[in-house]
Amino acid sequence: MLVTRLWLADFRSYERLELDLSSGLTAIAGPNGVGKTNLLEAIGLLATLKSFRGAPVESLVRRGAAAAVVRAEGIRDDRDVLIELELTRGRTRAQVNRQRLRRARDLLGALRVTVFAPDDLALVKEGPSRRREFLDDVLVALDPGADRVVGEVERTLRQRNALLRQGHGRLDAAGAMTLDVWDSKLAQAGQELTERREALVGELVPLVGESYEILAGRRSDVAAVYQRSWSQVTLADALAEGRRDDVRRGVSQAGPHRDELAVSLDGLASRTEASQGEQRTLALALRLSGHRLVTDRLGEAPLLLLDDVLSELDPNRAAALLANLPPGQSIITTASGLPPAPGGGELADQVLAFTAPGVLA
Amino acid sequence: MSAYARPVEVLIDELGRLPGIGPKSAQRIAFHLLKVDTVDARRLADAIVAMKENVTFCERCYNVAEGANCAICTDPARDQSILCVVEEPKDIAALEKTGVFKGVYHVLLGVMNPLEGIGPENLKIRELALRVAAEDITEVILCTNPNLEGEMTAAFIASKVLAPFEVKVSRLASGLPVGGDLEYADELTLGRALEGRHGFS
Ligand SMILES: [Zn+2]
Repeated sequence: MLVTRLWLADFRSYERLELDLSSGLTAIAGPNGVGKTNLLEAIGLLATLKSFRGAPVESLVRRGAAAAVVRAEGIRDDRDVLIELELTRGRTRAQVNRQRLRRARDLLGALRVTVFAPDDLALVKEGPSRRREFLDDVLVALDPGADRVVGEVERTLRQRNALLRQGHGRLDAAGAMTLDVWDSKLAQAGQELTERREALVGELVPLVGESYEILAGRRSDVAAVYQRSWSQVTLADALAEGRRDDVRRGVSQAGPHRDELAVSLDGLASRTEASQGEQRTLALALRLSGHRLVTDRLGEAPLLLLDDVLSELDPNRAAALLANLPPGQSIITTASGLPPAPGGGELADQVLAFTAPGVLA
Repeated sequence: MSAYARPVEVLIDELGRLPGIGPKSAQRIAFHLLKVDTVDARRLADAIVAMKENVTFCERCYNVAEGANCAICTDPARDQSILCVVEEPKDIAALEKTGVFKGVYHVLLGVMNPLEGIGPENLKIRELALRVAAEDITEVILCTNPNLEGEMTAAFIASKVLAPFEVKVSRLASGLPVGGDLEYADELTLGRALEGRHGFS
C-alpha cells in the first residue's frame, strides 16, 4: 500500500496532525524532541499493531485523552483505501474503508513496513530474542497467517509454564494429563513455527550477504544459521524427554522460544567478535534482506521507515545506505539533515520540517 | 480518593467488579441510577435479588434453572442421547438461536486456563464423565469456543475423559472465526458449524 495521507488524533504528543506523503523518499527533519519518531511509530502500528519501540499500546494514547486514532489513506492495487486504528486503554479496533474489522489482527497485511531503528544494533549484539522477533516479523509480513502460529506458541507457552509452576517441582497424575494436552499443542504449533523460521533463514542468507557487501563496500563471508534448542527429531519427542526436568525447574526448556539465529562474519560469531561498526552494518543488512525478500515474494515493497539511522552510521555507510535504498516509498527522520544526492541536488522528494512539537514549518 | 458521597462510592466499587465494566462505566451507571426514580432503582435491585434467590444451576447440566432442572432438561421433545458440551450458559442461548440442535447440554462453567489457576478439577468435567457413564448418550459434541483454551479443553475431554466410553465424540466444523467466541458468531455460521461437525481427531 502506498500511503498518501496520514492523520493522527491524540496519539503520543500529537493532539491532531494531518499530512501528505510523497510516493518516494520523505525526510522528516527537526530537532530532537519534536516527535519525529512518533510519526514513524504510528505508521508502523498500522502495519504490525505494535510499537517498534516496544511501547505498550495503551501508552500511545495522549495523556488525558480517552482514545487515539491513527488513520492512513492510500492506494493499493489501483484502488483508494483507508485504514484506521482506534486505541483505547485495553482495546484496539481496526477499520478498513470505514468497515469495522471483527478483530484488529485482521488488519495485518493491509500495510507492510520495514523499520530501521537506532537500536537495531541490539539485533546483532544482544540475546537471541531480538533475532527471533526479527524472523517472526518477516514471517508475518510475508504471510499474515503466520501471526496465528506465533501467537499460539506464545500463549501455549505461557499456559504451559503456569501449569509447570503450579506443581512446585512435582506433577501428579491429573496434572500430567493436563500437561499432555498442552504439550501436544506446543509440539504442533512450535514445530510449525520452527520449520517456518528455518525455511525463512534459508531464503534470507544469500540476501544478507549481498546487502552486507553493498553497505560495507567489501565482500565478507556472512553466514546465518538457525539453531534449534532441541536435538530430538521432533519437538514432541523433546518435550516428552524433557518433561521431568521441565517440571522440576518450572519452565519450558525446548521450543522455538529458546532457538537462536547465529550470525557470523568471516567465520567469527558476530555477537561477540565483530566490531560495533560491523555489528551495526550487519543489523542493517539483516533488515534490508528481510525487506528485499518481502518485496520479491509479494511484488510490492514494504514502506521503509528509517528512524534516525544516519546519526549512527559513518558517512560512507550512510551514503551507501541512501544510495542503495530499494525502490518504493520511504520515510526517514533526521535531526542533522540528509547528505546531498550522489549526482547533486536533493535526495528527498519531500521534506517535512518540524520547528516545534507538532508544528510543521 | 473520596470525591463522592460514601454510598455513591460503594456502588461504583460494586459495579466496577462486574465483568466488562471499567471504572468509567461504573461511574456513569452510578450517576445514572442517582437520577432515576426510586421505584425504578428498586425494580433493578429486586430483579438482582430475585434472580439470586430463585435461579440456580441445573443439577444435571449446570445450565441456569428455576428449580432442580433447567427448561431444556425437562423438555420431553429434546433428544436425550445427544449431548452438547459448552463453556457457559450464555453459549446455550447462542446455540439455541440456530434452531439446529435438538439434543441436551452440559455446561462446564469455565474452561481450562492454568494462568488463571483453572484446571479440569475446577470444571464440571467429572460430572460430564458421570453423565456419559449413567445416561444413554450416543454422541457428545464439544462446543467450546474456537480459541486456544477452548480447543485445549475439548482436546482434554476427548482424549482423557471420553476415550474409555463407547460414544461418538465430535467437534464443531471449522468456519467459525478462530480465536473468537461462540456468542459473537452469527446464527447461520454457528448452525452450519453444528451441522458440519466432525469426529474429533
Ligand atoms: Zn439442565
